[in-house]
Amino acid sequence: MPVWDRAASRGQGRPIRWGMPSHCKARPSARLARVPYAAMSVSDGIVRAPNRLSCWATHQVTDNLIEIEGLRFVRGDRIIFDGLDLVVPRGSITALMGPSGTGKTTLLQIIGGQIRPDSGRVIVDGHDVPKLSRDELFELRRNMGMLFQSSALFTDISVFENVAFPLRAHTNLPDEMIRDLVLMKLNAVGLRGARDLMPSQLSGGMSRRVALARTIALDPKFIMYDEPFTGQDPIAMGVLVSLIRGLNESLAMTSLVVSHDIHETASIADQMYIISDGRVIGEGSPKELRDHPSTMVRQFMLGSPDGPVPFHYPADTFLDDVMGDA
Amino acid sequence: MLRYLRLLGQWALDWIGALGRASAVWFRSMAGLPRRGDMTLLLKQVYQIGVLSLIIIVLSAFSIGAVLALQGYTQLARVGAEESVGLGVALVLLRELGPVVTGLLFAGRAGSAVTAEIGLMKATDQLSAMEMMGVDPLHRIIAPRLWAGMICMPLLTAIFNAVAIGGSAIVGVDWLGVDAGGFWGGMQDGVQRWEDIGKGMVKAGVFGVVISWIAVFQGYDSTPTAEGISVATTKTVVYSSVAVLALDFLLTLVMYGDFN
Repeated sequence: MPVWDRAASRGQGRPIRWGMPSHCKARPSARLARVPYAAMSVSDGIVRAPNRLSCWATHQVTDNLIEIEGLRFVRGDRIIFDGLDLVVPRGSITALMGPSGTGKTTLLQIIGGQIRPDSGRVIVDGHDVPKLSRDELFELRRNMGMLFQSSALFTDISVFENVAFPLRAHTNLPDEMIRDLVLMKLNAVGLRGARDLMPSQLSGGMSRRVALARTIALDPKFIMYDEPFTGQDPIAMGVLVSLIRGLNESLAMTSLVVSHDIHETASIADQMYIISDGRVIGEGSPKELRDHPSTMVRQFMLGSPDGPVPFHYPADTFLDDVMGDA
Repeated sequence: MLRYLRLLGQWALDWIGALGRASAVWFRSMAGLPRRGDMTLLLKQVYQIGVLSLIIIVLSAFSIGAVLALQGYTQLARVGAEESVGLGVALVLLRELGPVVTGLLFAGRAGSAVTAEIGLMKATDQLSAMEMMGVDPLHRIIAPRLWAGMICMPLLTAIFNAVAIGGSAIVGVDWLGVDAGGFWGGMQDGVQRWEDIGKGMVKAGVFGVVISWIAVFQGYDSTPTAEGISVATTKTVVYSSVAVLALDFLLTLVMYGDFN
């Protein structure tokens, strides 16, 4: 594992160290990679980078963390995406919305490299995700987090161990430091007191918050939220909304939120995308989308039961159906 | 006719695809071991897969050993060779019944549990969550279960054989009154280390690999729904049982020489 030869703290906010391995010096085009303090490991007094991709940051860093161009993805006979373009600026909260079954979760899986698209470019933090090898993909994922709709907590270990899992898997930090970090993350989501509970003892909202604490354990650059508000009571929903906004600002992260909850999502999103029929049909700030010229976008934003997305599933006329067998 | 040919072709393609995926799971799981923390994960699985299977193995072994002694005694007593019951039971157990019955029990008890556990982890996004954390579930979840199965199966077979022979001794010597010297002496004289014990353990090792491989692959490749997990669990037990019986025939044919 490469030894870091330079480490410094950025003066503002929480400490973030910068550096690169000594063998990267031979590559002048390489840019310094930002690695959060919590993601680094310390052993024998030597600070080590968490993974190869982070310190071999030879990619071009742009203002956009995610750039998707001409994405096409077909599942069976069904075209899920057909020429989809999307950009997520660094530091923003971007919301992804659209009618059920339009492939929003599939898009998150494509961004995370769990599914390969048929064509198109998917650039995440300078890396073309579909072209990464399995090992490179796993290393890229250490800088991204995903909050699943089902929370996806490991049911055989406690809340504390769930949050500690990524720290133990990717760092050599001593147990005392892992304990402190886990308690910090749990404190951030208000569940420090629930650290000894098992996932089966948590409510839906608590599970989602523990999963969020686990997702931020390694201070990722980027978090994808898959339906974070689904099935939550108003209080839990309010807590999650403030957590997403607060974490995005305090940890200088980038967030991509897939949700159906227009009101909650619009309250925290910097920009929104509406997807339908495999393409982006509307994009802009929440206010811009409410006044969008497209009737379909307005129907979605206002939650109208009928419109371009019809209330009725395609069928013969009601009269024909009723009188048909008579 | 063409329709049946097409179905046959589709079935063959599905099988080849599944075999390819299963091979990929095997090689990726085995690559890079051992890693930091693997021993703890492995020991946990040895407990789950091996230690927790002990009760059914011991109970079945005792029962089968006792029944073999009863049947053997009945037949051998007709020709006045009841003292040979010890040797007969030992040979049958060490060469065939030990590995085969342990394999079938292991598939039903541990194999199905492993498939259901991995399938449920997949259905509840735990495997995806692990992948998205940059942790390869093939190393973290699949590999320890594969290794544990391969380690436990020969050990369980050895325990099965020992308990079954003990059960046959209790019935044969203590109950039916077979001479203890003849019972144990015949066994000591007749059983060969490699030919009987060694080759039996080779069978157990092969069964351990195959059953564990089938179990983890069926779980990892399952459809992440309640029905999908049910189908995968059933497949594990059926495929493992058929594989154990078929491989037993092949291994016997190969290892025990010339049957012409």
